[in-house]
Order: sequence, then structure tokens, then C-alpha cells
Amino acid sequence: MIVIEDLVKQYGRFTAVDGVSLDVKPGEIHGFLGPNGAGKTTTLRMIAGLLKPTSGRVLVNGHDVAIEPEAAKASLGFIPDRPFIYEKLTAGEFLRFHGGLYGLPDEGLDARARAMLELFDLGRWENELVESFSHGMKQRLVMCAAFLPVPRAVVVDEPMVGLDPRGARLIKDVFRTMSGRGVAILMSTHTLEVAQEMCDRISIILKGRIIARGTVPEIRAMGDGHDDHLTSVFLKLTGGSALQEIDEIVG
Amino acid sequence: MVRAFPYLLRPHLFATRNRARRRERGDSTRGLLFGGIGVVVCAVLFQASTWLTGQLTDYAELGDYLLRLGLSWLFLTFLSFLAFSGVVTALSTFFLADDLRLLVAAPVATRRLFHARFLRTLAQASWMVVIFLVPVLMGVGWARCAGPGYYLMSVLTIVPFSIIPVAVGTGATLVLVNTFPARRARDLLMLMGLLFAASLVILLRFIRPEQLLRVESLPDLTDFFATLQSPITPLLPSFWAGETIFATLRGGRDLLHAGALWTTALASVVILRAASERWYFAGYSRSQEAPKARFTRFRSLDFVARALPLSTVRRQLLVKDMKIFLRDVGQWSQLLLLLALVLVYLYNFRVLDLQRIPYMSGFLKNVYAFLNLGMAGFVMATLAVRFVFPAVSSEGHAFWIIRTAPITLRDFLWSKFWTGLVPVIVLTEFLTVVANEFLGVDPFLKVMAAFAIVFMSFALVGMATGLGARYPRFGADVSQAAGSYGGVAFMLQAVLFIIVMIVLLGWPSSIYLMNQFRSSSLTFAQQIWILTCFASAAGLSIVLWLTSMRAGVAALERMGE
Repeated sequence: MIVIEDLVKQYGRFTAVDGVSLDVKPGEIHGFLGPNGAGKTTTLRMIAGLLKPTSGRVLVNGHDVAIEPEAAKASLGFIPDRPFIYEKLTAGEFLRFHGGLYGLPDEGLDARARAMLELFDLGRWENELVESFSHGMKQRLVMCAAFLPVPRAVVVDEPMVGLDPRGARLIKDVFRTMSGRGVAILMSTHTLEVAQEMCDRISIILKGRIIARGTVPEIRAMGDGHDDHLTSVFLKLTGGSALQEIDEIVG
Repeated sequence: MVRAFPYLLRPHLFATRNRARRRERGDSTRGLLFGGIGVVVCAVLFQASTWLTGQLTDYAELGDYLLRLGLSWLFLTFLSFLAFSGVVTALSTFFLADDLRLLVAAPVATRRLFHARFLRTLAQASWMVVIFLVPVLMGVGWARCAGPGYYLMSVLTIVPFSIIPVAVGTGATLVLVNTFPARRARDLLMLMGLLFAASLVILLRFIRPEQLLRVESLPDLTDFFATLQSPITPLLPSFWAGETIFATLRGGRDLLHAGALWTTALASVVILRAASERWYFAGYSRSQEAPKARFTRFRSLDFVARALPLSTVRRQLLVKDMKIFLRDVGQWSQLLLLLALVLVYLYNFRVLDLQRIPYMSGFLKNVYAFLNLGMAGFVMATLAVRFVFPAVSSEGHAFWIIRTAPITLRDFLWSKFWTGLVPVIVLTEFLTVVANEFLGVDPFLKVMAAFAIVFMSFALVGMATGLGARYPRFGADVSQAAGSYGGVAFMLQAVLFIIVMIVLLGWPSSIYLMNQFRSSSLTFAQQIWILTCFASAAGLSIVLWLTSMRAGVAALERMGE
């Protein structure tokens, strides 16, 4: 559903993404992990059509984002890490506007928007201006918008930031339900527990290159085998050994 | 170690320094352009005040009286401007600025924070007044051959004169924020300020000052001076500043009024600091609250949009833009000022008494028709730079929604164009037709002007939309975007375009009118010439319109590179 082939993004002499290839199948939740500045967001923004790759290509639902951007975008839902939305629109108006951009017909749009708001626990905020929403509410509203046009694939950048435990649980349930219905989800996250709990496969990116890929047990096997969690593997693969010096620095 | 309050100004100073160091495309042009405009404005102000003071010197006692009156009026005007500017700036610097979260959470005493913020408020609220006052006062001093004492005293007068109204404005903000939530207070202020400005413009015009120039109204001159004198009261700092400067200009010293200025400035800062220590945190805390916003749903807008023959995407873009515009007080309230200016503009043509020059009235009417066309062009350019140019920038950080949606950026930009075009064309067409009707110009010119406005609207709105897409300022508010490099570049191009259009339309029209005046018919060569000029004007408009839009779309598409 989402296919990335040898994707490269250079800013002058700096290479942010260096030959990344990925394949997210229908119904799969694919975790995209890596330390800060590894190239996760840049990769996701190229898939969403926000950035033009220096080379390589991105296919969404069989459509090349560079050649058929409208067709590719029509199959894709994008959830950015920071939920910037039009502050002077109400939640309902924003969803109707978003639906209109994706060509959803007016008939049934209101009902669909309302259903999505109820699903994301925002039903009673339908007629309130977005400017009065908290960060977590805006994040959930962006997710409503992403799932409103029934996308075939979803790209999510840090979905759990700013969400309370109830919201996080809700999002996990929604993502599982959507993947059960065949939606391919590519999710970048720093929360390793979330990746471990939800993802079918995980790719770890470092300095613009994929350095590990596999199912959770496969990734875990790359560690020393003594830890049930991904943290030690992640630190081992991404060079987090500097953490051992913390005790000395903190004193 | 507790550092002195100027330490708190460091981030602002560093940011300014870093901004100056960072080179961006167009920096030199922008610097030259704004610097050049600034120098020209200062030179004109200096020259004008020198000339005026020189003229007044010829009238001895009366001249001195008028100069004294003029100085009081000058300071009085700035007094209200500074107070209002102080209110608006203080709202931002004391209550809404992003860095306040860091500073209020840090172990910084309210008193230190107050000093740092007040200094910043003072600088931000008064720099424009100071830049305006300096060449004017220098011009006055130059014309009266004043010594160095005069210039020193001018500086010593401007400083406390600026402090007093800004302190009063900051105090008013403190009260307002403790009464209303800060964001609502800002909207309220914006609306009040613009209503005040609009009513002032209308009031000043409807007094009909041009009557004073008529010989038959000379007996009313004493009444006129009495009217001028009435708002000047010895209790206001503007009067003290005027008197201090005037006394120094005559070689004397007015220590009473200078002392009044300095003691009042000091007292106002001390009182404000005490009030701030008592109420600042309560106000800041209130400004953090997010009250349930009051707003209008504009359901009728959805209903009307559904009736329009538009695609779903264009309809949704239109409804979104309209609702955002109408819910932002800072945006729509500017229309009030615009409405006032339009009323004054039409009223001018209504009261224009061309019959007083019987032999020239026919000729003048037609000249005024072109003046009217030029004025309509400038109104159009102003509207376009203020409301159309920032259309892309107004998407702000939410622009990702458009860029990730399955629509082309071409569709998006054209939607912005049509949304901007309709109100601009309606308003300027109305202005031109009504003004030409009031003037009673030749029917040929009426038709020509009506068509010209259509072409000019397309060109200017296209240029504004295109340049707005080429030079967007997503992080800035709408007025900042309008005043940015792209906005200024648009205004320069717009002025050039209007001048070229007036020439292309005025020249052939004069041939036609001249022939009509002589009751002779146009020769074939003249007809070809007239048609060529009109076709060139239409062609130029269409080329500008389409190339600007195309460049705008290309710039948006390059954004992801």
C-alpha cells in the first residue's frame, strides 16, 4: 500500500534521508523508530507530498506521489506531529472543509463528520472553535480528519504526543480497528512501548538510513536477549551508550 | 546573583542581532527600499516644517501664536497615538508574548520583569512617533536658527512626553486584562480604535475645511481659531511639551512645564510599577485562561455557498476563508475604516463645485474622471495588498492541510484569486461609477472607466495573489505579511501599472474628447491609435494577471523542494 524505493533527501550537502526503502502492506501497522534528527519526519513528509525527494520514489495505493499527487493523496491520511489547524473554524466546520478537499459529497458528510467526532470523543465539541481546544483535542481532531475520507493508508508522526492515557488508549484501539479493515499505517514514534504493543513490523532509522527491520521478536533478538523491552535494543542500535555517563554527570 | 533588569532584554537584542546577521534573499533590496523611503519621508518632513516655520516667521506675533498652537496640536495628536499604541503594545509585551511563560515561571521578581517589559513597550510604542517628531522639530529649529540648547531640550522633552502616555496606556491594559480575558480585550481594543479612526476621518471631512479658503467666509476665521484652540488644555503633557519647546525656541527656558513633564513621567512609572506588582500576576493568569469563545456560526454563508455554481473544493475553500475572515475582529474591523474612506471619497466628489469655473468645468470634469480612475486604482491596490496579498500567508501553519489534500495548488491559488477579486471589483466599480455620475463626465469616459476598472482589478488582484504566493509569511499575522518585502514589491509594481494604464487610457481619450470639443469626427489613423492604446491596456492587464498567477502557482509547487 505504501512503497518507498531508495528515497533520498538532501539539503545542500547534508543528507537527511539516505536511500530509505520501505513497504507497508494493507492492514499492517509499521513502526518507524529512530533518535531525534534521524530522518523520520523528513521521510514521512515526503510520503505525504509535503517535501520533494532528491531522488527515489514513493507509491501510495499504486500511485506515484511525484507523478499522480492528487490520486496518491486521495488514498492517504496524514497526521503531523504538531496539530496546526484553522483556529477560527469549529471542529465540525473543519471536518466538513477537509471532507470537501477530499471530494466527499455533501450528502452524508455531516453524519460522517459527526460519527468521527463521536469516535474520537469530541462529539460535544463539534460547534466550538478550534482555538479553545487543548493540544490533545487538536491532535484527536486531526486524526478525525485523516480517517474521515476512508483512506487506504495513513502516515502518522508521533501520534501519542500530548494525549492523556484515555486518549492514547482510544487512538490505539482506532488504529487497530482501521488496520483490521485493511488500512496500512506507517507510524513514527519515540514511545517504544507503543511500538512494541501495536506494530506488526518495525524499521529503525539512524542518520537517514534504515539500520534494522523486522517484527518485534526479530528486533528484540538483535539485542543481548536479556531484556523483554525494546529500549536496550534501540539504545544498542542507535548508539545510546552515552546514557551510561548520566550518573557521572548528574553526580 | 540577581542580574539587573536589562538582562531580561537580552533575548530580544540577540534575536535582533541574529536577524541582522542572517542574510536572506531580498535583504539588500528591502534595506535599500525601506531605508530610501525613510530618508525621503524624513527629508520631506524636515523641508516642510522648515518652510512652514519660515512662512510663519513673516507674520511676527501671529506667526508665533500659530507656531505655538501648531506645536501643541502636534504633541496632542501624538499623545493620543502614543496612549493607544501603549495599550495595544502592552497587551502583547506584558500578557500575550510567548516568552512570558519562561520568564514568569523563572525566579524573576515582578519589579524586574516590569522594568524590562515597560522599556520594551516604550520602545515599540514610540519609535514611529520619535522618527516623525525628530525631523519636524529639527526643521522648526533650523528655520528659527536655534542653538544647540534647543536640540538638547527637544530630546529632553520627547523622552518624558513618550513615557507618560505609554505608561497610561499600559495602566489601561492592566485594568482591561483584569476585567476581560486578554484575547477578548485585544479584539475590543482593535474595534474601538478603528471605530475611533473612522469617525475621526468622517468628522474632519464633514466639517468642510475647504470653506475656510473662500474669501466670503473670512469673518469666520476667529471662530476657526477658537475651534482649534479648544482641545488644547494646560493640564495635558502635550501642552507642557509644546510650551517647553516653544520657550527654548525663543531663547528662554520654561522650567515649570519641563519639570511637570519629568515629574509626571517619573510618577506615572512609579505608580504603574506599584499597580503592576499588585495586579500583574492576576492579569497574566487571566490571560492564560481559555474561555468558551463567542462567535457567529454564519450558517447563511453555507447556504449561499451551496447555491453558487462551484465545485465542492472551491466552495469549501470559499466558506473556510470567509468564516475565518469574519471571525477575526482584527481583519474585518479594518473594513470599517475603509468604508469611512470610501464615504469621504464619494462625498468629496459630491461637494466638488466645478461650476465656479464656468469655462473650464467641462474640461475639468473629464480630467477629474482620470483622477478618479487613478484613485480607484490606488484604492484597489490598497485593498489588494491588505486583503488579497496575505491570502496564502493567512493559511499559516495549517497550510499542510492543503498541501496533503488531493487538490492541485493551482486550484487552491485560483480559488484565492476569485475570492479576492469579487469584493475588489464590486467596490472599485461602485466607486468609479458613482463618482463619475456625481461629476457628470462624458458618457464615453464613463464606459471606458468602467471597463478599465474590470481589467485593472484582474491585473492587480492577480499580481497580489501571485506575489503573495511567491513571498508568503506563514508565521506572521496578516498585517505583518502585508508590510513585508513582497507586500512592498507589490505596491511598487501596482503604482507603476496604474500610471501606465492612466497613460494608455488618458492619451487616446484626450484625442477623442478634443475632437468632440471641436465637433469634428475622428480620422482613421486616430481611430487605429485609440484602439491600439486601449488594446495595449487590456493586453497588459491580461498578461500581468496570468503571468503573476502562473508564477505564484510555480512558487507554491517549489515549496517542497
